[in-house]
Amino acid sequence: MSSTPKELRYSKSHEWIRKEGSNIGVCGISDHAQELLTDVVFVELPSIGLEVKRGDRVAVVESVKAVSDVYAPATGKVIEVNTELEESPDAINSDAYGDGWIFKLELEDADELDSLMDAAAYQKHVAMGDN
Amino acid sequence: MNRTALYNEHLNLKGKIVDFAGWELPVLYTSIIGEHIACRNAAALFDVSHMGEITVKGKDAESFLRKMIPTSLDRIEPYKCMYSCLCNDHGGTIDDLFIYMIADDDFLLVVNASTVEKDFRWLASHRMGDVEIENISDVISKIDIQGPLSKQILLQVLSDENVGELERFSFTHSVYGDRPIIVSCSGYTGEKGYEIYLHNELASRLWTELLLKGKDFGLVPAGIGARDTLRLESCYSLYGHELSDSISPVEAGIGWIVNSKDDFIAKDIILKQKKKGASRETVAVELMDKGVPREECEVKKNGFIIGITSSGGYSPSLKKGIALALVQAGSVKPGDEVEIVIRDKGVRAKVVKRPFYRYMGK
Repeated sequence: MSSTPKELRYSKSHEWIRKEGSNIGVCGISDHAQELLTDVVFVELPSIGLEVKRGDRVAVVESVKAVSDVYAPATGKVIEVNTELEESPDAINSDAYGDGWIFKLELEDADELDSLMDAAAYQKHVAMGDN
Repeated sequence: MNRTALYNEHLNLKGKIVDFAGWELPVLYTSIIGEHIACRNAAALFDVSHMGEITVKGKDAESFLRKMIPTSLDRIEPYKCMYSCLCNDHGGTIDDLFIYMIADDDFLLVVNASTVEKDFRWLASHRMGDVEIENISDVISKIDIQGPLSKQILLQVLSDENVGELERFSFTHSVYGDRPIIVSCSGYTGEKGYEIYLHNELASRLWTELLLKGKDFGLVPAGIGARDTLRLESCYSLYGHELSDSISPVEAGIGWIVNSKDDFIAKDIILKQKKKGASRETVAVELMDKGVPREECEVKKNGFIIGITSSGGYSPSLKKGIALALVQAGSVKPGDEVEIVIRDKGVRAKVVKRPFYRYMGK
């Protein structure tokens, strides 16, 4: 069973977001998503300064088996990207919620996170087979 | 869906089960790349029991097979095996296979899982003389152990000096659990290794014993994900990709198996292709930019479509995307730059000499 940390929020498209400070959101893809992809080999990171609305495509993760778009779980501006993923894309597989983080957003409205799924709701979403 | 005799072992090892040609098999146990690298550096164990085994026996078995395959049977003798194929009347490929000669009236054909029935029907419909053809796939399991340490590991379990002395493309009868088995020095990974054929009832025991005794050598179980990345690096054809009913062995780049002087099916067509060249050929390409090519990606040169990829993937050894592509004959040569269209975007690639990874056994 894939892991689903309780302190995070999740989107239907399998991204997670963790609030840092008052208005920063650290984002990545869930353990369930990385399991489906298998070995990640390339990550297309967004440019710093990119403004995104919730649901916009923001990054691309390519694995041995498939390619997957990563969508912004919230509205904001990309302020940092995980350049370590260029050398070690497999961090997404081995540590999806830690070293496998993909980008950080300066959130337009931190309250937007409340409308995302919590861990329990996301687990149910995964169990229902909504890949 | 079918399951091999090792299905429960795969579950025990937490294999990620997928559908492959109607069989429930693990695509990986831990990581495709990890399993691939383990095979190249130490050893990996594969359950390939879904493959087919067809016996061809009788006084006329040899003359029958000489009509069915384009590879000369003069090239093998008892206890040797060789790569070949079955061609249809148009020169396309029914299947590629390995043919094991036990005696001149006793042959074993090892074929792809997705084509067992097709191959059997093809052989049966062309049968003539004192020839008995039997599909024994259902009772035979197949375990491949591949990698530089595969010999040492196998000898921990089968202390049979005949196994230890096997040269590439030779096989021997041996015994395991008081039952006869066949062990050949061959494989589909580009590493030195062995293919073991045994009755289903023994598969679990051999699988677990190999994993146990191979653990200290670094032996890992590997799924079909790694099997595909390994064979692609070695430029081995996969039926349904490089070979098909409409792709001849010459077009696929395995024209070297066409060397028989016998009157084999589609002889005129295939020999003409060999002599004058076919209209298409298979080339190897390496991506120059980031990306993973897949099958059925267009290949362009100077803006013109020259062909399409037959297989694509990521090479853990080269750390880049690689592909095999069926293109217009003569349109490119090694060193040429092409474009592979991946998800509507052209990615720069260069044509290279096959294989990406050279066979490392001796």
